[in-house]
Amino acid sequence: MRRGLFSWVTVVLVMQVILAGCAEVVSVGTTVGQQMGQISKEDKQKIDRMALDSEKAARPMTEQEEYYVGRAVAATILGKYRLYRNERLTRYINEVGQAVALASDRPFTYGGYRFAVLDTDEVNALACPGGIVFITRGMLKRAQNEEELSAILAHEVGHVNHKDGLGTIQRARWVQVVTLLGSEAAKKVSGAELAKLVSLFEGSVNDVVKTLIVSGYSREQEAAADSSAMTFMYRAGYDPYGLSDYLGKLSKEQTGGAGQGLFATHPGMTERLAKARSVIAANKWPRIGHQIRDQRFQQTMG
Amino acid sequence: MNRKSWIILLGLLMMTSMAMAAAVKVITQEAMIRKDKRFFAPVVTRVPYGEMVEELERQGDWLRVSYRGKQGWIHTSAVQEQKFRLSSLTTEKAQETSREEVALAGKGFTPEVEKAFRDQNPKMRYDLVDQVQSYKIEDQQIQAFIQAGNLREPGGGS
Repeated sequence: MRRGLFSWVTVVLVMQVILAGCAEVVSVGTTVGQQMGQISKEDKQKIDRMALDSEKAARPMTEQEEYYVGRAVAATILGKYRLYRNERLTRYINEVGQAVALASDRPFTYGGYRFAVLDTDEVNALACPGGIVFITRGMLKRAQNEEELSAILAHEVGHVNHKDGLGTIQRARWVQVVTLLGSEAAKKVSGAELAKLVSLFEGSVNDVVKTLIVSGYSREQEAAADSSAMTFMYRAGYDPYGLSDYLGKLSKEQTGGAGQGLFATHPGMTERLAKARSVIAANKWPRIGHQIRDQRFQQTMG
Repeated sequence: MNRKSWIILLGLLMMTSMAMAAAVKVITQEAMIRKDKRFFAPVVTRVPYGEMVEELERQGDWLRVSYRGKQGWIHTSAVQEQKFRLSSLTTEKAQETSREEVALAGKGFTPEVEKAFRDQNPKMRYDLVDQVQSYKIEDQQIQAFIQAGNLREPGGGS
């Protein structure tokens, strides 16, 4: 009986840890269980230990940690590409970017969303974890109006919402970071621990950079970012067709073999276009007029 | 499973749900508590990262909260739900627990780690990252941009 009881009590408590993320609650439960004579002292310690372990292993990266990873990713990218300095343009893309970010599922991140232009003809846009978004001049040049610009930025905001960047960090690295952390809250990290943490940090940053610049996300992640982008655009009052229009343009270029930079990390434009069109059809989104915004786009970019 | 076991199971479940009282932790560098549940509503007060605020009411993506005697609305994406013992919720202990948690979480990728990483990689362009970080758009400016472009003001309670 004792054994059978131990197993179901354990299952309930550990499930609650996963749900509630609180080993302390389990400890209260096991204390009562022990007082009632239903579980032994050893069992209580075992369950408490399991609860604490699973809580620690399950700790996700905090928003603050995401921010620091994102800053390092951005610092790496800004070491490879030149930052394009144009006050008027920078302000404009930040206004468009904020309009779609506020309409996203995650309008607030630790450090907020920021949008910047990279001075290169390569065609690409990159989202660092936490909300720093880069768009190249090559990519900007291909945007015909504010709707298309908002589509590019909303797509990157989608990656930030989905935490796709963080997802590229090898799981083993994060497990090591969590393992390094002692359970004693006030304890300071030692020099050796700090060196190890820095090396794990560097590895994590490199995982993200490699995906952003070399390997790219999966087709599923790109499709999900497209779908979210159109939702954010629609909520913000932009015409979601801006995304399919832009993809249509890139799809034509890709078939023609131009624009190598982007297509290494963003394959299958035609497939993405088809998926985007099906999302529009499923939502029955109408075309939204954008003359007023076309004008200010021309004034800023023209 | 006998009757007694079921009673214990039920008891444990009840205790756990009781323990999950409504306090949320701020997870952005600085979160705004606003007068109404709108992005551009006037700011009642600012709350720094890691502080606990008490949840009073939930409407869509907005929470009505209380912090240091001030009440207002905060967006759900700026906070994280925390589960605390009911007894410690309204006392200083909740803040204390929160600070301990911050310290524990603070032992991962911290400002200290960033500093050590920067020292090891002096060629990294953190100076430019700080510049990009300064491209902050004020509420009024983004609101004017949304209105001038005939866009929709987001987040009206949904």
